[in-house]
Amino acid sequence: MNGSIQKISFQLLLILAIFVCFTPLLPGLLGLFFSAFSYIPALEMQTFSLTGFSELLLWPGLHKSILITLFVSLSSTFLSALLAFSILQSCWNKAYWHKLESLLAPILALPHVAFAIGFAFLFTPSGFIARILNTLFNDLGIANWSLINDPYGLGLILGLTIKEIPFLLFMSIPLLKQLNVNSTLISAQSLGYSKAQTWQKIILPQWLPKIRFTLFAVMAYSLSVVDVALVIGPTSPATFPVLIWQWLNDPDLATLPKASAGALLLLLICLVLLYLVRFIEWLTIVKCRSWQTSGRRALPLAGKSTLLVTYVISLTPLPLLLLWSFAQRWPFPKLFPTHWSLRFWQQEWTFLWGIIGNSIFIALISATVALLFAIVIHEHSIRAIAARNRFVVPRLIISIPMLAPQLSILFGIQVATLFIAHQYYYLWVIWAHIFFVFPYVYLVLDGPWRSYEKRLDMVALSLGMSPFKVWWKIKRPILLPTLCIAWAVGISVSLAQYLPTLMLAGGRISTLTTEAVALSSGQDRRISAIYALLQSLVPFFFYFIAIFASQKTGIITNQNTVNKRSVAHHVPDSKKSDYY
Amino acid sequence: MSLTVKNLTIIDINKKQLFSPVSFSILPGEILTLMGPSGCGKSTLLSAIAGHASIDFSYSGEYYLNDCLLNKVAIEKRNIGILFQDDLLFPHLNIWENLAIALPNRFKKEQRRLVAMNTLNELKLQTLAEKGPSQISGGQRARISMMRMLLAEPTAVLLDEPFSKLDKSLRNDFKNWVFEQIRKRKLPALMVTHDESDRPDNGRCLQWPWNEK
Repeated sequence: MNGSIQKISFQLLLILAIFVCFTPLLPGLLGLFFSAFSYIPALEMQTFSLTGFSELLLWPGLHKSILITLFVSLSSTFLSALLAFSILQSCWNKAYWHKLESLLAPILALPHVAFAIGFAFLFTPSGFIARILNTLFNDLGIANWSLINDPYGLGLILGLTIKEIPFLLFMSIPLLKQLNVNSTLISAQSLGYSKAQTWQKIILPQWLPKIRFTLFAVMAYSLSVVDVALVIGPTSPATFPVLIWQWLNDPDLATLPKASAGALLLLLICLVLLYLVRFIEWLTIVKCRSWQTSGRRALPLAGKSTLLVTYVISLTPLPLLLLWSFAQRWPFPKLFPTHWSLRFWQQEWTFLWGIIGNSIFIALISATVALLFAIVIHEHSIRAIAARNRFVVPRLIISIPMLAPQLSILFGIQVATLFIAHQYYYLWVIWAHIFFVFPYVYLVLDGPWRSYEKRLDMVALSLGMSPFKVWWKIKRPILLPTLCIAWAVGISVSLAQYLPTLMLAGGRISTLTTEAVALSSGQDRRISAIYALLQSLVPFFFYFIAIFASQKTGIITNQNTVNKRSVAHHVPDSKKSDYY
Repeated sequence: MSLTVKNLTIIDINKKQLFSPVSFSILPGEILTLMGPSGCGKSTLLSAIAGHASIDFSYSGEYYLNDCLLNKVAIEKRNIGILFQDDLLFPHLNIWENLAIALPNRFKKEQRRLVAMNTLNELKLQTLAEKGPSQISGGQRARISMMRMLLAEPTAVLLDEPFSKLDKSLRNDFKNWVFEQIRKRKLPALMVTHDESDRPDNGRCLQWPWNEK
């Protein structure tokens, strides 16, 4: 009796999870499609037409904007992959690697928007780097350049590249462990390959196919990013997604078909670029593969200096934001503020509480629900695969929210909420957050869920425990550290959402992220710094709780039993970071 | 070429020597066997000679290839081939590519494929050329792995329990074939094992804690 109730409630949860996490795709794509062809009954546009597209194509700066967007997206993806690989090549398995690994979490926790604002404070003509150069060379003209809002998007490329490198490193760690880098190095070196040659000729062809999905995500993100591009991207013309975003916010509703035609085009460009990434991988790894066996040659890659630059640029925004938020006067080219003040904090304090509360409220609900759903879908997949006949949710569908441009999907969802009941905007915003948070939480759980020792369940079942009790008493405690981390990742992803919050609430919900972006274009750096600082401190706070909780609750540390007789013991196996 | 080891010993983290210093010299085409139980440090001794540092162990002593001191030479410049109990073929390359990757740089482009194919022909394994390492049998993998090591033209060979993972039926054939290849190329070879039957007939053998037998 008890067992069947559990079974039914699991089935109900599963249906709910599938409904919440995947149904938005349908109105998302349909709504986009219909409005791109000018079919928007809510606005009394009830005939299909191509006016949206013709208006889009007639827009004067269109091809320039698209070219810049492609340039930014392709070069930042290529650079971040290249630089991440060169860091791995020179630093993997070094004595300091563990320290680098533990520094990755705080860098990843830093939201893109806060990073972009801090990055702008570093690189504007009156930014911190200009101040340093000025102090060193005592020449006011030396800083006559700007990487922020520059017409070629170079600042945006640099910012995105630096922000994506740690993500690629983080995602490479489990892959490289799987690839047995140590024994590959040993056997290749005994064949006369140097370390660099082994990495480039033997490990790279194995790493690239495995990092493919992450590269897809990096590419899609850089193509469709709006918030970071608003802060540091080019302005005349802006990148394509920013243009669409501006058209969407146009008070004249007649621009809606043009905006949605743009969003549809963006989706198509995204598909083409993803295929391009896949094609380049196929070309270099499968089709033209003779370079892999052509002998002992390697390109010089400066991994260590890349590492240094990445970590310095990633870690300076926080102290810089802190300085700015307490500065009253900070004239150029002084390295530190001349007058300090609490005034701006006091002035914003009353608004801040409401905004922080809002942000945390949405983040806690969406991360918790997404975590629950991710567990349910993982458990279902494991059972379905074991039973071999049931439906398994395909990974591609799970990852669509990470790969498709947010703008394109949200557009249709927004249209759909207009049909249903747009006044429940908190519901829609939270739902959209769950939708975008879910794939990240799911991915964090993926590795640990797969490597969980299934025989533990069998032993417990044979001891007479019910399936739910087995899960609660055995699996949950063992995987609790991962659950804590996944929850924190979910919270930080939700806290960083810009478009879903704005589009579905129609501007009626303010979070730290929406305010930080809105204020970044304003004149007052101090207020902008306060919001950017809080936007990054809140996720830090939850990461801190999660890491603390995972250490306190992880009574059972997963000890790797290193196989003493295998060759891998020549270099000690890394035991850390397994809980990620 | 001969491989000479002088007063070599392995030291663990507590600065304790795992065995008393050992010295020996191996002539071209000779196979010296080091026998000892698991954990006595014999594999660590091999990796010290090969140049693979370990955090848990250090070593003292010297080793020479002819009269050239190897201690400070970079691993990839030592020209020492190793054969492990695992074949360690590269999983993303097919069989001929696994051989071609080992060829010295003086072989160019199409020549690399030809040499790899000829090697497979000599082994009568040409049908395996386009297959992946996981698609062929353990015995075949062991042969390919040995050939790959030899194609890199090493000047000395280390064998780390090379036969222990093979079936009894394959073992003798493979063993004789490996010894024959080593003798034919006049390479000094050092083998560590815990199995008495791995020893070549009439070969010299040092039994842990290194008494000649």
